[in-house]
Amino acid sequence: MTAVPTPSRTYDLSFARWVRENVEGGDKLNMCMQCGMCSGSCPNGQEMDNGPRKLFMMVRAGLKDEVLSSSTLWECTSCYRCYVRCPRGIPVTTIVQHLAALAAKEGYAPKNKVENYFFSKAFWWSAESFGKTDERLVTMKYFFSFGFGEGIRKALDNLKIALGMIKAGRMHIGLPHTIKNKSQLKAMIAKAKELEQKG
Amino acid sequence: MKFTYYPGCSSEATGRHLDESTRAVFPELGIEVEDIEDWNCCGASVGHIGGGPLPQLALNARNLANAKKRGNEHVFTSCAACYLNTHRNNLAIRDNEKKRQAAAEILKAGGEEPYEGDLKVHHAMEVLVNFVGMDKVKERVTNPLKGLKVAGWVGCQTVRPFAETDDGGHYDTYEDPHFLDDITEACGAEAVDYKPKTNCCGGSVAVMKPEKTLHLMKLLLEEAEKAGADVISTPCPLCQTNLEMYQEAINKKYGTNFNIPVVFPQQLMAVAFGMDPVKDAALHRNTIRAEKLEKMAKK
Repeated sequence: MTAVPTPSRTYDLSFARWVRENVEGGDKLNMCMQCGMCSGSCPNGQEMDNGPRKLFMMVRAGLKDEVLSSSTLWECTSCYRCYVRCPRGIPVTTIVQHLAALAAKEGYAPKNKVENYFFSKAFWWSAESFGKTDERLVTMKYFFSFGFGEGIRKALDNLKIALGMIKAGRMHIGLPHTIKNKSQLKAMIAKAKELEQKG
Repeated sequence: MKFTYYPGCSSEATGRHLDESTRAVFPELGIEVEDIEDWNCCGASVGHIGGGPLPQLALNARNLANAKKRGNEHVFTSCAACYLNTHRNNLAIRDNEKKRQAAAEILKAGGEEPYEGDLKVHHAMEVLVNFVGMDKVKERVTNPLKGLKVAGWVGCQTVRPFAETDDGGHYDTYEDPHFLDDITEACGAEAVDYKPKTNCCGGSVAVMKPEKTLHLMKLLLEEAEKAGADVISTPCPLCQTNLEMYQEAINKKYGTNFNIPVVFPQQLMAVAFGMDPVKDAALHRNTIRAEKLEKMAKK
């Protein structure tokens, strides 16, 4: 994969072209007619700085920093309402999700202290270490990624919920559930990371 | 008919009651359930960010390769995120040359044969609609849930983005799905008119920062109350957990007094089939107990 270009002048299409070639669904992005069906359908649009419609225009305008710093990438709940409603058949959710992955890879997310980024990292840690999501450990790791004091505060806030879950047998006590063949999964993920680097 | 089953991570924790009721009910409807051997996490809706798109593909390729070894043509899962990831990656491996090659290389690194994307991946609800049919559900009911008012909350990913497509089995519509109400009525209960049936609860964003998404869940509860529902029924384990565990936070923030049980359609069926309320319907695992439904259960 070539490095993400940084546009240097007005009407520089290098970033848009890069997105078209390298971001999943990006080849459909030039179909967008700016109707706003996506942003209007979004359940969490009020938390977004731009919304997908504006974000897509910003990609086309070459606003790389603004696109990759946009809260739109992190507020998507993956409900796919925009995806099924888009009159031009653009996989809106897929593009937003993969722009978020790009922002994480390019270092835009931690800079902006994005919750979704911390959560994703905690989640992936569990998936990679155990082959499974351990909901309690992911939550605790996520809470403590904001610092020790904040971690304690968040943990206490959720104590009652946790106790209710334990009582219902929906949060287990003890070692995490793991897959049997962890070394196989490890080798496969290492290969996937290598392929991703190569592009 | 034999199906390979992908339980998913929530089946061992927050969604145990979904797994238990699915395993109880499906064989009663002629669906034999065989687990994927040594299944792993699908990556849910954040794996592509935390690990990257290809590592996310790796998780799913491993599951699919292991599913293939079961020898059944069809795979199903009850979890919306597991369904979406397994299905999407299966189609990518089948239709996208680059992805298929990447998957083959990844599988080879794990000592596995290449996988070509030839399994068919389904959601549990699609299996009920397309392979079982409501007549068969109705036939199996021995303990109709007379007088129980149910709000059918489908949520997002169970129907989107695949339900209306060839690969999704055309099992319902995106905007106005009726399968959940059909199941409710097949069980002898009453499906109330529930307007926000495909609304989003906030999904994983609700887990990360509930304060920002409580309003979405408040609306879901308000509408259920207005419709006079005794319980909300949803096929999604994250929807179920979110809407149940955040009711107290919603009450605190908005001064409301919600205490509405949220159950799975599989739990409704288990009770309507006259099965065990604990072992089969797993009603003891709902943190807001569905008392009216529990009273209807055959002891």
